[in-house]
Amino acid sequence: MRNLIATTAALCLGLTALPALAKDLIVTVAKPDRLYVIDAKARSIETDCKLDFNLIPGVIVMSPDNTIAYVLADRWENVYGIELASCKTVFAAHQSEGDIKRKTIGSLAVSKDGKELYTIRNPVKILADRYEVMEPEMAVYDTSAGMEAKPVRTFPAPRRMTVMATDRKGTLYAAGHDIYAIDPKTGETTVKIPNASWDRPTYSPPDVLAFWPIGTQADEFLLLYSAAKFTDETQNELADFVWGYETVDLTTGESKIEDFASFEVIMFSAVRDPNDKTKLYGVYTQLSKHDLATKELVKRVDLPHTYYCINISSDGKELYVGGTNDDIGVYDADTLERIGEIILPSGGDMAAGTLHVISTGS
Amino acid sequence: MKNLKPLNQKAERVVKAAETDKMDEVRAMQTIVAGCASTLDPGWEVDPFGGVAALCQPMEADLYGCSDPCWWPAQVPDTINSYPDWNANADGAPADWRNLGTVFPSDSET
Repeated sequence: MRNLIATTAALCLGLTALPALAKDLIVTVAKPDRLYVIDAKARSIETDCKLDFNLIPGVIVMSPDNTIAYVLADRWENVYGIELASCKTVFAAHQSEGDIKRKTIGSLAVSKDGKELYTIRNPVKILADRYEVMEPEMAVYDTSAGMEAKPVRTFPAPRRMTVMATDRKGTLYAAGHDIYAIDPKTGETTVKIPNASWDRPTYSPPDVLAFWPIGTQADEFLLLYSAAKFTDETQNELADFVWGYETVDLTTGESKIEDFASFEVIMFSAVRDPNDKTKLYGVYTQLSKHDLATKELVKRVDLPHTYYCINISSDGKELYVGGTNDDIGVYDADTLERIGEIILPSGGDMAAGTLHVISTGS
Repeated sequence: MKNLKPLNQKAERVVKAAETDKMDEVRAMQTIVAGCASTLDPGWEVDPFGGVAALCQPMEADLYGCSDPCWWPAQVPDTINSYPDWNANADGAPADWRNLGTVFPSDSET
């Protein structure tokens, strides 16, 4: 269901060959079948796509030109590409076939040239009396394959893989027991940032909630971790319970892992200011602003309810919190004051869906 | 594991893995533990601090984020595989939770 005014406005701009004004759009989903494109500054729904499939879980990655939203849908199984300008589904990859069911737990990414789409899928053979768990695999799809896309390549993949991202050199990064770097041409997999295998003898293994592929504004693959920190290697006496971040720069491929705060509140997702990466914002039932340079908590405010997913405007001035219910909260990044909200008209929950911010125009 | 007592077969296997130095094969929590057959994660009882204040507020804000990935299959139907339509009449949990019911295996599944 396209917003007629927005369509008309877009057509007019195209016909008159005027450059579109630069603005941020929020892209997210709502149960069971709505994809929303929202004018972030205007706090208004620009496009309301009612689709003919179930969007859950609603993990979204954007094409590099931001024209197509690729959504992991049909209850963690199939991937669809939806053209934002028309709400038309232009790509579909149905991963299960016959008695083999293949689920993807958030592992979705698109190459930076937009030509390939990657999933890691977990096959299970459904037999009459039991399930036979098969080996997980990385699948490579051609994004121009249309509505019957089949993998053009598959490779063995580690188990328990979740969110992924690609860099400009062609490497695919995936979160699992460790943060892996995968060559999509050969399937060669190496550890980019050790997690379960990290060499921190005074730490417990980290716990990483990797659900939202949202680091695109700061051009990074960023995840939070929490871990117990002990006074010495005997790990008998707890020194602190810490929050840290781990990140891969999606232009340079450089990585970093670092503690930044004590574990005082839960944070489900975090983003950094694209213009000042010392500023990190995390969300859950509170919204927190951390200074990574000084390791100080700058400010923390309570939210009206829990939100899962956070994102940030291109100028770093506004924060958007979503997921869970049907409202997106808008916060001033400086003061953490609630300065607006956007109610999704369908009333459907965003649940664990992704909240992307994309920039359009020039 | 000395502070945990296994209450079911899955938990017993985790304890055995720890005793036989096979924890590399079994990790209770590392990244998201999603998938209806692989979850070992108490939920909606206590938060990481042993209280309830840090659980999602309100509970309805958390319902689908946790049931969609089968996070707590003991408390919420498996919507990934077995009961995909459990919440078909409840798109928004805060407003529609009364439409959520109990599920039972069909005759063909028993």
